[in-house]
Amino acid sequence: MKQAVIMLIGVLLGLNSLSGQALSGEEIVKRVNDIMSPASSWAKSKMTITTTSGDKRTFVSESWSKNKGEKNLVRYLEPSRVKGQAVLMLNNADDIWMFFPRTQRVRKLATHAKRQKMQGSDFSYEDMGGGDAFIDDFASTRLEDDTAEGFECYQLELLRKPESDASYSRLRLWVVKENFVPVIIDYYAEKEPERPLKRLVASDIRLVDGIPTAMKMVMFNQEDNTQTEMEFLDVKYNLALDDSLFTERNLKK
Amino acid sequence: MRTLSSFLTFLLMAGICLLSTPLNAQDKVEIFGYFEPQVLGTRLQGNFYQTFTNKLRLDLRSVLSDHITFAANVNFITYHGKTEWDVLEFLSEKIVSSVPPEMLDFYVLRFEHEIFLDNAWVKLSFKPLDITLGKQQISMGTGYVWNPTDVFNHKDVLDPTYEQPGHNALRVDVPLMGSTTLTALYSPESTWAESTKLVELKSRIGRFDLFVTAIETLWRVHDYTHFDPDGMNFVEHPEKRQLLGGSTAGEFLGLGVWAEYAYNWMEKSDDFYELAAGADYTFVSQTYVMVEYYRNTLGKTDASDYDLNDWMRFFSAEQKAIARDQVYIFGQHPVTDLLSLGLQTIYSISDSSAALVPTLFYSLSDNVEVFAYLSFNLGKEGTAYARKLGDGGLIRLRAYF
Repeated sequence: MKQAVIMLIGVLLGLNSLSGQALSGEEIVKRVNDIMSPASSWAKSKMTITTTSGDKRTFVSESWSKNKGEKNLVRYLEPSRVKGQAVLMLNNADDIWMFFPRTQRVRKLATHAKRQKMQGSDFSYEDMGGGDAFIDDFASTRLEDDTAEGFECYQLELLRKPESDASYSRLRLWVVKENFVPVIIDYYAEKEPERPLKRLVASDIRLVDGIPTAMKMVMFNQEDNTQTEMEFLDVKYNLALDDSLFTERNLKK
Repeated sequence: MRTLSSFLTFLLMAGICLLSTPLNAQDKVEIFGYFEPQVLGTRLQGNFYQTFTNKLRLDLRSVLSDHITFAANVNFITYHGKTEWDVLEFLSEKIVSSVPPEMLDFYVLRFEHEIFLDNAWVKLSFKPLDITLGKQQISMGTGYVWNPTDVFNHKDVLDPTYEQPGHNALRVDVPLMGSTTLTALYSPESTWAESTKLVELKSRIGRFDLFVTAIETLWRVHDYTHFDPDGMNFVEHPEKRQLLGGSTAGEFLGLGVWAEYAYNWMEKSDDFYELAAGADYTFVSQTYVMVEYYRNTLGKTDASDYDLNDWMRFFSAEQKAIARDQVYIFGQHPVTDLLSLGLQTIYSISDSSAALVPTLFYSLSDNVEVFAYLSFNLGKEGTAYARKLGDGGLIRLRAYF
């Protein structure tokens, strides 16, 4: 019996390996996209910016997403300077509204605003993703498999499609074979095609509500020599979130 | 002494309110705010003047239940240094010479220490509507610097995002189908006729937010060439103003775009309209640029036509512009994670004058930020941005708690 179980595991591992070999770049990116855009989610996150001089700035926010990231709401909790500020993104962040509590003003932003730094961090709103950006904006090619951060990984190259207005001309991803979590993403800009502008490293991968989740991500900005750490303090998936949560009315609450 | 007494009364009332609140609600009272020291320097006709202000804003907020929120803030502001400004020092010889000698002392603006309840409102939220009652922020329109549909506020062109004062009002927001919302607002004065009534319908078409706004208000405009000894103020000429306007914001060809228009029917004086339209863009380098055009037909097309009333109504925020057509251009780049540098340019098309305003924003710590600007007026004497208005600058530190 024990031998049979071991044989079965062996066969399954072999099949997994075979199916892994058969996966194309596009298929892997689709699996990555599925992991990164769950049906709905809530998270409390801490973002710590470390500047060139070693200064730190810390932000705590709460965020909700629905329809695989098609609707997103982020509300800042700390520090006092930004408390109550909120960002609503609908239609895969094609429509963005920001709310400033001290002036009670809601400002509609165009999609180019996604290029702006999020609270001065090394993450832009675009980097925070949501939706199907990897699929819609880039064409994927599978490169030779590699090892990264101690994981066996698929290695992918994503080239910006001609019709896309994404900020990055090229991305390189190392995706863990076991769970399709990208542990490293290199972001390249047009002006310097061979040296990554930024590198995102994910770690502390845990299974949350059945979804593999990198609880910690660090974005290294190679150009400015700064880094920003994003840590999930708590995260939940597949929640029943009402559509009224993702409205301008709720943004002001 | 009266100010101190008001302060003590406020503290007493606040204490009573907090202590008398049931324990579960008291637990939810948040106290926050900021302290803001600021220095404003002005070089005027060879002299350098400085005004220091210290502002403490204390905010209270309490979610009393799922449906009821209370918020308030009180502001304490002290002024030091040069706290009296003679407006005539900034104006052209032609205008100053038109002022009767016995009235020369009337054009002095004085800044005195103040304590005031800026906002205090309660919001009742139910599924079919939200009701906000009390002194509250009212933000109208999509314009960045100029808002033709906003009869409540007057933004500072050099500092357009600074918070505006609260206004006493009853506001009802009714969500209708889809993303459509109907807003009705009543800002009471002594009588119904003097009060401001507003109705606004907001909706979304494609990538654009659309607003249609109708307002009736009493415009309290003054004649700054005649003094009313009984009222100890300049003579007031109030008149009914009815406004119909609209605004929109969205995206076109990758640019953020917005426009705002308002036509004003006046009871006695000539009707006028205001128009603002702008666009912005963020480059891949994260450099941000914005341009906004503004037309106000109350403004004049020739600097030689500006008179004392134009200037005084502009300085006292009764009129949003002195020149008819203006353009505001702003560029900003994040030099580091903590430092952003920018440049504002305000150009008056009507009289070919301009002001250049380099800006700096620095995050000193999680809760402390510094904002500074220099301003250089480059226009000929008598124009909207004349050199005679002086060059200057401002450094503002804000510590949040």
